[in-house]
Amino acid sequence: MAGGGFDSPDEGQQRGKQHKKVIRAGVRIDMTPMVDVIMLLLTFFMLTTTLAKPQVLKINLPKGEEKDKLKVDMGTVMFLRVDSTGAMYSFMGKSEGTEGPGEKVELKGLKAKLESQASKNKANNLDFLVLLKFDRRMKYKTMIGILDEINLASIDKKYAFLKMEEDDLKKIEEAKKNPQ
Amino acid sequence: MKKVRDIRKSDIRIDMTPMVDVIMLLLTFFMLTATFRIMESEAVEVNLPYSSDADTTKSPDVRVITMTLTKGDDIFVDVDSPVLRNEIFGNEFGIGIYHPDSTSQSEYSKTGGKVGKSDQEFRRPVFEIKNKAQFEKILTDIKSKGPKDDKGNSALKVIVKGDQDTDFGVMEDLMASLKETRNTIFHMLTQLKREQE
Repeated sequence: MAGGGFDSPDEGQQRGKQHKKVIRAGVRIDMTPMVDVIMLLLTFFMLTTTLAKPQVLKINLPKGEEKDKLKVDMGTVMFLRVDSTGAMYSFMGKSEGTEGPGEKVELKGLKAKLESQASKNKANNLDFLVLLKFDRRMKYKTMIGILDEINLASIDKKYAFLKMEEDDLKKIEEAKKNPQ
Repeated sequence: MKKVRDIRKSDIRIDMTPMVDVIMLLLTFFMLTATFRIMESEAVEVNLPYSSDADTTKSPDVRVITMTLTKGDDIFVDVDSPVLRNEIFGNEFGIGIYHPDSTSQSEYSKTGGKVGKSDQEFRRPVFEIKNKAQFEKILTDIKSKGPKDDKGNSALKVIVKGDQDTDFGVMEDLMASLKETRNTIFHMLTQLKREQE
């Protein structure tokens, strides 16, 4: 063999040695990079699990007593009435105390609707107040959806929950019969 | 033949120290996160609704009163302190259940102990709250006996965990009671909405 000349002179000597003393080749695996990667993965998963935590919508109810009546200008008010199926109807208040006809609103269009109305009121130097009248059988997720849209809209976050009454149901029925 | 001579017994040594370090870390991590799943703090699981509001804060998880609204229209009242639970509900793991609609039965008594999403029996001792007055009294008691901040006001935060399909009527009743007991600030838990949903 061509490369055999390297250790051929003392071949016999080495063979003799090997029988007496076994040379062990210690294979060492360096664990440091693996540990580094595992640490990184661990950090990553720890951070992502924290981010997956549910978030909260904060609600601030008025502190006043029930008997403290607050007078508002009907012209600044938008009623949002929602029936048991989650169908939304908006009614614009008029300054003389009456309401305009109902208009069906989709959840997707609610934000735009709120923003346009708020800017219209602002042009007339009026506040904007949303009064929410929800049917008791309506689902909780609908409420969250509506509050979310109100929070997302770039308007003053002024809204109030009012009790749904017979009168409100009638108004929804009317709006259903006469779609705008 | 040199090749024969080259066969040596190889002795593979693996240093176990770093691996053990990592395993210990993992163990610690999972032990800490798993603490919330054990029986005494078993929570009522619900399907949270989605919202996309960007400036909402993450939910606080200490010093909280949790109001869980299930789709069976029950309200579960829970606090995160065993001492407080013992004082209010008579058991360190107790949880209050209130069914605002007096005309129907609570889901808990209807199904024989199943609540929320889970189809397993709820293991925590349940304290039944019979009416609105008792519910409001319990809220006031929790507030007065619970932790206080520097100014002497209650440091407890109210968290509302509503199921997607809870009737709004339950929420309306809850809001009325919260207002009555001066808990005018509360947080509603939601999941982050992604575009496709």
